[in-house]
Amino acid sequence: MIKVKDVSKVYGKKEGMFTALENINLTIPDGATLAIVGKSGSGKSTLMHVMSGLDHITAGSIIIDGKELAKLKPKAMDRFRATEMSFIFQSFFIEPNQSCYQNVMLPLEIAQVPRKKRREMVKDALLDVELESKIDTDASKLSGGQKQRLAIARAIVNKPSLIFADEPTGNLDSATGDKIMDLLFELNKTLGSTLIIVTHDHDLAARCKMQVRIKDGKIESMKGFK
Amino acid sequence: MYFRDVVKRGSRSLRASKLRTLLTALAIAVGAFVLSLTLAASNGLHDYTGKLISNNFDPSELIVGRDKTIGSGSAAGSDPQEYDDSISTVSVGAKSSVQVKRITEAEAEGLRQKPYVEKVRENFQITIRYITREGQKKYTGGAEPYNPSQKPELGAGAVPSGGDIKTGSVLLPEVYVKLLGFQNDQDAIGKTIQVDIQQPFSTESLKALLTSNQTAAQLANSEAVKAKDQVFSYTIAAVTKKTATSLAIGVEPIRISSTDAREVYDFSAKGTTDYNKYLFVSVQVKDGADAAKLNAAEDNLRSEGFYVQSSKDLQKTITQFVNILTIMVGVFGFITVIASVFGIVNTQYISVLERTREIGLMKALGMARGEISQLFMIEATWIGLLGGALGSIAGIVTGIALNPYLTKKLDLGAGNSLLIYRPLQMALLIAALMLVATIAGLLPARKAAKLDPIEALRTE
Ligand SMILES: Nc1ncnc2c1ncn2[C@@H]1O[C@H](COP(=O)(O)OP(=O)(O)OP(=O)(O)O)[C@@H](O)[C@H]1O
Ligand SMILES: [Mg+2]
Repeated sequence: MIKVKDVSKVYGKKEGMFTALENINLTIPDGATLAIVGKSGSGKSTLMHVMSGLDHITAGSIIIDGKELAKLKPKAMDRFRATEMSFIFQSFFIEPNQSCYQNVMLPLEIAQVPRKKRREMVKDALLDVELESKIDTDASKLSGGQKQRLAIARAIVNKPSLIFADEPTGNLDSATGDKIMDLLFELNKTLGSTLIIVTHDHDLAARCKMQVRIKDGKIESMKGFK
Repeated sequence: MYFRDVVKRGSRSLRASKLRTLLTALAIAVGAFVLSLTLAASNGLHDYTGKLISNNFDPSELIVGRDKTIGSGSAAGSDPQEYDDSISTVSVGAKSSVQVKRITEAEAEGLRQKPYVEKVRENFQITIRYITREGQKKYTGGAEPYNPSQKPELGAGAVPSGGDIKTGSVLLPEVYVKLLGFQNDQDAIGKTIQVDIQQPFSTESLKALLTSNQTAAQLANSEAVKAKDQVFSYTIAAVTKKTATSLAIGVEPIRISSTDAREVYDFSAKGTTDYNKYLFVSVQVKDGADAAKLNAAEDNLRSEGFYVQSSKDLQKTITQFVNILTIMVGVFGFITVIASVFGIVNTQYISVLERTREIGLMKALGMARGEISQLFMIEATWIGLLGGALGSIAGIVTGIALNPYLTKKLDLGAGNSLLIYRPLQMALLIAALMLVATIAGLLPARKAAKLDPIEALRTE
């Protein structure tokens, strides 16, 4: 369960000060699917970053599974991120001059998964995104959609309990985008992973059981919350 | 991340930018090349001086004298010393001379009586007029008593495996073989040569003349006023080649037995002021191969006011010189390495900037700061390994290519090389360069570790 309590995020100081998030309160149960929607620049990515502990908050608190992120030691935070969370970024952030295998293996190396298990896990993840034939191909040789699928394979290889996705279909045509979303929802069903998706695609948002609309750093409306 | 995975990732990202890696490594390679060459030359010189000493000096022998220049290995002291009869003048070069306190025959005899002394060899200085052979021209030359601890290379004939050569025999340097009309080295063996020695006009002969009551006219025709000389005949036992480790200056001297040397010396020096006074004598210590016994003998001799030099002291003096040279050249190599350090720092900084996104991603995925900095330091270590290996290989190849030429040019003698590479030394050199490279990678690695993942991921 993720609890976001009175969270504010302010960038800069004095004249250059900008309030990106203001008084956000959310409770997301385990296994939920949440869509964060809103106009460009409204603070969606910022919210996702602070929820995952990638960015620091200015006020309030974020509690995941009873642990307050701001109070975790760096080591514990790293460990938590390596084993429990994964990310799909707005721009894929894959390493072009490494093979698909190397790209997907990175989270396993970081989480210190035993060497023998790795290849099987990478294969499974690539199979899920239908890239199994490209396992030893350099990532730079993939098409845009394939790259995004590779990023997703990297996000699911460790079977995380929490997946953050920032515009996962933003760069894809609708057919491919749908396929990828199917995959993420499938993972939510089979593994019970919590899915937090930033998007401005209405159809995609509609597939999530919970939705929150952000406007100018504030919650404008919420749907599906108890 | 496991250390092994860090190492693999590091080497992979280096391979991704091969040219840059290679160029950075080349800077270290230059340093490694200079340093490996310096080490090799130092090895070669140390080996060579070792051979030089062991081919010319018996380690159980001590050089014992009365002048303090013998103990210090330096030039004559600048402070005046008290004069006594044992002091004589020795010319040094063409224009200068020094006064040297000599060791007398009586003192040498005293040394012979000591319980720890096996043998004492006087350093006879023999001046000869010429060397010749029946029916041949006369040639200049020098003579020396045979030194059993010298290992002359023989063209023909033989010397005893230990001890002195036979009385009446001579070792003839190869240069005389053709001059004296022999067909070859072998042809000279068993033949006889003549050596002419001149007797100085001694005080005794002067006294004899003055008390002989002869008139001036009689004196002018008298045999007594003419310089006397005598021809000594020796049988050639062996022909010696000039070896690279010989210490002889100019033409190699002929070598005769110590008994013959004594006879010739008596003939040529008796009556002169320096007769039976030697610059030094060689004292062979009983069981002198045992360092403890040799040291005890040295201490005893010093306590009696002798100046002593062992072959070890001599080697130390030469080695010191070699070491200074090595350090001087080594400093250049070191400077090159320092310069290459900046290359590594620069390359790694650029690498961190280029891979800001990758670093951000790794951090977002939970890679610890320490692991990130390890990754970049390992990359620097790899560059150090590559540079060190390239430089050392270049050095070894240079050694293989240059050694035959250098050996010939520097007249080191067959079997001696100037550049000697030792595997352990090379391994240590490479390890040291890897360490230096790793330290150079420290700063960029810290920068990478400190990157804020959000900032890093924002860069498009
Ligand atoms: N480091 C920063 N310093 C100052 N302002 C920032 C910083 N990062 C983000 N912002 C501002 O915060 C606001 C929210 O940004 P955010 O990236 O969360 O928007 P978004 O909703 O994800 O937009 P998009 O849909 O275009 O991705 C923006 O106005 C942005 O300019
Ligand atoms: Mg965004």
